[in-house]
Amino acid sequence: MQVKDARFIDEEGKVLMLGNEAIVRGCLEAGVSFAAQYPGTPTSDIGETFQRLLREQPELNDFFVHHWAINEAVAASECAGAAWTGCKVLNPMKHVGLNVASDALSVIALNGPNPGAMVILIGSDPGSLGSHQEQNERFYTWMFHLPCFEPHTPQECKEWVKLAFELSEKYDTIFEIRTSTRSAHSRGYVELGKLVKGKAKGKFIRNIPKYNSLPPHAINNHIRLYERIEKIREIIPQLKINVIFPGGNKIGVITSGMPFGYTMEALNQLGLNDVPILKLGLIYPLNYKEITDFLQKLEKVVIIEELEPFLEVKIAEIAHNHKLDVEIIGEKYFPKYNEYSTGLVATCLAKIFNKKPKEQMSKAIDYFNSYKEIIPSRFPTFCAGCPERATLYSILKATNQLENTVICGDIGCYVMSFFPPQECSDLIICMSGGISAAIGMSTKTDQKVVALIGDSTFFHTGMPPLAEAVGYNSNVLLIIFENSWTAMTGHQNDVLRYLINQGFSIEKICKAIGVPWLKVEDSYNPKKLTRTIEQALETYGLKVIIIKRECALQAHRWRMNQIRALKEQDKKIQEVEYFIHGCQMCYDCARVLSCPAIRRTEIDGFESMQIDQDRCIKCGVCYEICPNGAIHKTIFNALDTEVGWREI
Amino acid sequence: MSFKETDVINIVIAGTAGQGVITLKRLIEFAAQKAGIKRAFGSEMHGLAQREGAITSHTRYQKEIFEEERKNLHSPLICYGDADLYICFEPVEALRRGIFASNKTTFVLNSWTIPGVMITANLEEYPSLDKIMETLNGYSDEVYFINATEISIERFGQSQQVNLIMLGFAVATRKLPFIELGHYEEVIKERLRDPDLNIEALHLGIKEGSKILKNSLKSKV
Ligand SMILES: Cc1ncc(C[n+]2csc(CCOP(=O)(O)OP(=O)(O)O)c2C)c(N)n1
Ligand code: SF4
Ligand code: SF4
Repeated sequence: MQVKDARFIDEEGKVLMLGNEAIVRGCLEAGVSFAAQYPGTPTSDIGETFQRLLREQPELNDFFVHHWAINEAVAASECAGAAWTGCKVLNPMKHVGLNVASDALSVIALNGPNPGAMVILIGSDPGSLGSHQEQNERFYTWMFHLPCFEPHTPQECKEWVKLAFELSEKYDTIFEIRTSTRSAHSRGYVELGKLVKGKAKGKFIRNIPKYNSLPPHAINNHIRLYERIEKIREIIPQLKINVIFPGGNKIGVITSGMPFGYTMEALNQLGLNDVPILKLGLIYPLNYKEITDFLQKLEKVVIIEELEPFLEVKIAEIAHNHKLDVEIIGEKYFPKYNEYSTGLVATCLAKIFNKKPKEQMSKAIDYFNSYKEIIPSRFPTFCAGCPERATLYSILKATNQLENTVICGDIGCYVMSFFPPQECSDLIICMSGGISAAIGMSTKTDQKVVALIGDSTFFHTGMPPLAEAVGYNSNVLLIIFENSWTAMTGHQNDVLRYLINQGFSIEKICKAIGVPWLKVEDSYNPKKLTRTIEQALETYGLKVIIIKRECALQAHRWRMNQIRALKEQDKKIQEVEYFIHGCQMCYDCARVLSCPAIRRTEIDGFESMQIDQDRCIKCGVCYEICPNGAIHKTIFNALDTEVGWREI
Repeated sequence: MSFKETDVINIVIAGTAGQGVITLKRLIEFAAQKAGIKRAFGSEMHGLAQREGAITSHTRYQKEIFEEERKNLHSPLICYGDADLYICFEPVEALRRGIFASNKTTFVLNSWTIPGVMITANLEEYPSLDKIMETLNGYSDEVYFINATEISIERFGQSQQVNLIMLGFAVATRKLPFIELGHYEEVIKERLRDPDLNIEALHLGIKEGSKILKNSLKSKV
């Protein structure tokens, strides 16, 4: 029996939810009936929650559809299509996803989502906690006129999603909810409201000027967008989402989202509870009167916001236009990079207000800095048994530790290739940036150029550069990890798996595009793979090697479930164990393969590698590669049922 | 140390991915809700699938709130130096996230080490447990080790119960005020697979933890 999560069924009471769960709940209370997204931290679990609810409550399928789209641009236009039939649609994406979707959104914003409503949910990532870069994508809200909420608590996440849908429908405007990795993944109380069923079906009604963007319609729609934004600007005070915490101090603070929480606690800690605070719920557009009323009584105002100054610029503009004599400070004291914290905000405010930070805090910082060198690193690394890690082993061997070789990395679990000890990546740009860079680079160097890409990234934006590489017969070796999952972001069950189940494969695409040199290999057979890479690098032109091996984390989970099920039927199972005996400490398994299930230890006074049986998933790669034959394999219950890996 | 109902309680839970850090954080929060805690706000990090990275979560709660909003809990992150309790599933992870500690902090640590790939490759050094103890003592006198992994494997034949044993140890320190044992048990029954096993692990953690705390008190006297 499927257990149902009551937090998404009950219509009253107080429950604990993550920001992202609250967003989903908000959609269900707003009558949303379509959502499409490409996964990306911190928004992937919004889709996962929708998918889970669709399984737990099959009746939701009667009106609600969730798509794991192939990329963000596709997702944005999908959402527009559904909205234009009169439905309410949610389009979540991570901050860099907005770069990909921006082309589509720039037009949809002009047209407007009516007769339906559209909310984009942007997961920003100050501090790059789950991304390859940080950027202040708030500037898109200005560029495309996307009114933008910045919730602080899960309660606000839920309420403001509902409000955003209401306003989007009313003003024919795309609204944005901007979360961050921190707010999306913080848990707090949420007061539940009534659930509203979304539309099962709508109908598209022809309106050529509204939906066909070309002059003169594009210009007219642009004019209409300005009008819509001005109307929204007018009604902001009625929404009561921008809140003032009054105080008599002549220096005030304007802030929003997560920095609001740090600011409240920092001011309290510094004994500055007389500082007036304006907490903005909507950061774009701003209501001039609301801002000038707050600035009027102040000598200085401190703008507390993460990343590049956005509010600071907008508020300075308002102060300037209204000839207000107030000093606006922000970036002078606050960093324009990385995530903030209460400690950081308190440190900066202490300088501005000429206060001493709390001793407990400064002591903690100083003491931490005094010993931090002794902390060994623990960066994320490939799981035990990962086929991508095993591939890097073969690349390192085939190129004599990357001699005269450049590795153009990419985004997926293999983004971790650059970490030591393997250090098997020379550059990372963006999804499918690796193969594209390789095409250019190969025209200007005689070094061996290798590019990496995963299957989800291949479908996201990787096929166009592959077609170009075929067209120019670029002297590049492209290695495609067909692990059958969008692994890095948590294994979303996407179109990819659907296509694979239809008998479709990357091999077929490569053949159809006309790749001249193509091999399908398995990195669990490392010696053979090493030879194939050697051959490829001796050949001029475009070469593609597809590594066909399921993500080890998923494969292991599947295998353990099979074994558990068979054991429940009292079946005896064949078991394999790898162990090390006679280790020569050559470090091949630890430095070139570097499987985390292997640890260095002492046995009878001699240093030796040892396999952590709790962590080993029995991929057998270390056994294949040990040059000293010191890794051994034993099979227990050899005559009993063998549970192998699943076919992908 | 006794807590006032309006105090904000700050707990850091640290470990490596896959050890159950997030599960434990949720258990405490859901138990806090059962205990009628008025405000809870805590941050958990997820998003990457890989099993090997360092993981920290912050749990914060306030039994009763002040009328003056400015004095209440507003951030899901603990301020540097402000943690009351650290629950660490892996010893060096306590050092890595030490910045939230001060002399008011109690550390409970699992002494089972998980050396990262750089240690295995002999390119970095893992500090000894003595060194870790000594370093953490620079923050606070209250640093306690338990070999939760060994206890779990010995008693349950697997390492999965480490988080409940660590919770038991944490409960024994009395640094999780206003939440009763029964609240944890209720949440375990509602939310975890094998509830009996996990409740047993919780009690085992309390028992073993109390012994460690008592012995250390004796040695201090
Ligand atoms: C434009 C953009 N969207 C989403 C992401 C988030 N993201 C990072 S890696 C990844 C998955 C890559 O999957 P795949 O290429 O199959 O590699 P795997 O993780 O399976 O090895 C995603 C979606 C991103 N970095 N950039
Ligand atoms: S999640 Fe899968 S693909 Fe990613 S590192 Fe782990 S085993 Fe490899
Ligand atoms: S067999 Fe070897 S390489 Fe594979 S997971 Fe086990 S220890 Fe790691």
